[in-house]
Amino acid sequence: MLKIEGLVCRYGKVAAVRELSMEVAQGELVSLIGANGAGKTTTLKAISGVLPPVAGRITFLGEDITRAAPKRILQLGIAHCPEGRRVFPHMSVLENLEMGSYLRADRADITTDMQNLFERFPILHSRRHQAAGTLSGGEQQMLAISRALMSRPKLVLFDEPSLGLAPNLVERTFEIIKGIRAQGVTVVMVEQNAFAALELSDRSYVLDQGRVTMTGTGSELLNNPHVKAAYLGA
Amino acid sequence: MRGKIPNMDQLLQHILNALILGGTYALLGIGLTLIFGIMRVVNFAHGELYAFGAYMMYLWVMVLGANFYLALPLAVLLGVMLGAAMELVLLRRLRGADIDTTMLVMIGAWITLQNVEQMTWSGVAKSINTPFPSSPLVLGSVSLSWNRLFVFVVALALIGATYAVINRTKLGKAMRATFQDRDTAALMGVDINWIHTATFALGSGLAAAAGALLGPVFVVVPTMGDLASLKAFAIVILGGLGSIPGATIGGFILAFMEELGAGYVSSGYRDAMGFLLIIVILLVKPTGLFAQKERIG
Repeated sequence: MLKIEGLVCRYGKVAAVRELSMEVAQGELVSLIGANGAGKTTTLKAISGVLPPVAGRITFLGEDITRAAPKRILQLGIAHCPEGRRVFPHMSVLENLEMGSYLRADRADITTDMQNLFERFPILHSRRHQAAGTLSGGEQQMLAISRALMSRPKLVLFDEPSLGLAPNLVERTFEIIKGIRAQGVTVVMVEQNAFAALELSDRSYVLDQGRVTMTGTGSELLNNPHVKAAYLGA
Repeated sequence: MRGKIPNMDQLLQHILNALILGGTYALLGIGLTLIFGIMRVVNFAHGELYAFGAYMMYLWVMVLGANFYLALPLAVLLGVMLGAAMELVLLRRLRGADIDTTMLVMIGAWITLQNVEQMTWSGVAKSINTPFPSSPLVLGSVSLSWNRLFVFVVALALIGATYAVINRTKLGKAMRATFQDRDTAALMGVDINWIHTATFALGSGLAAAAGALLGPVFVVVPTMGDLASLKAFAIVILGGLGSIPGATIGGFILAFMEELGAGYVSSGYRDAMGFLLIIVILLVKPTGLFAQKERIG
């Protein structure tokens, strides 16, 4: 479904991703793990088009999206739920969700989708007229996830969904992501919490200094002594 | 000299005048709120758009003999187009540039526009004829000119329309999203370049509207934009930088201060009164009156 070959991304002169290749099949939950600065977030930004890569090729459903505009990539079905939640703080919960469906014109379906999300997250419904910036961290994360789903994506990119959340909310967030995948949406997730990420995902890529150093199924990597030592603190 | 003996009628008259002036100040302030408060472009040329609106009104009505009511939307539309052109030609290249660089470029735009006005229209003050009866509307003990009443009604309508655009339309929501978090707005599929152009054009159009409305009330001179810029900045800062309700109320506060100051203190200090108030308010509440609050994390 998604194929990345020889991806190179730079911030100015600093290379953040060097020759990265990976692949994601339809319906998979794939995670990228690695230390700070390994190039995980940069890879997601390259996929969603916010950071045009210097070299390499990204294809999605057979279409080359390497230097496509974020708008085009979203239209093709890739939603990006950014690091730090990034809700629009001075807009209401409702307006944030509306921004999620910005490119859609099917009004009736948008309303249905919103109703479904409100059923799933009743707290968002009761706070729908509140400014998103006044929500708690966990509520903001639910809103950010819901906003990403409002585009009816085929593939969702999650960047550090558990960052800065209380432990019970971390658990809840991972449950939500599992639920999204269960509905047939493909998921690519970047996660610092390597243990949780490996447990959750079908396959994982271990990134180090902008390259893939290891790849395998979640359980393979969980039992890999190198991964254990470097990322699981065992 | 008016205002030496305060009485009720006089106070009412001042309040009425302030309300009418406040409407156009609010337009000017909302326009700059979009550009400076929200886009963060320190737009010293804002007042020039105000002057441009007035001169376009003069062009259509006095030079080309167009109908007054037709000339008004045309003048505003031309202001929108000039704003869009400025954004496309100057600001698009400066996206992400230092705020100082942008500021200098906008000072350049201000000087250029004002000199072009001077060259085209000469420095002689122009007046614009209106279709309104010259005898004022008398309501009990107070009176007001039909022209000023018209200005007030149109200004209020434009303020209402701007609110509706910003709060209710898809474009308005995309504007707010873009200036709260540009990268995330792009992830939602918003065309960031288009939003920048549209916002600058809308803000410019509101300044041009204020000029086109007030041009026929006062006279039109090339330097009329200078004080308009200063007042617009004062209103935006007073309202809490980026708050549209704040700029609306700020516009009215400034008008009241000027009108009452001119009436009861000295008309010579009319323009000074407003700035004096702003100094006092900012000393007491440095974030302005209506700064937005948010919870981080």
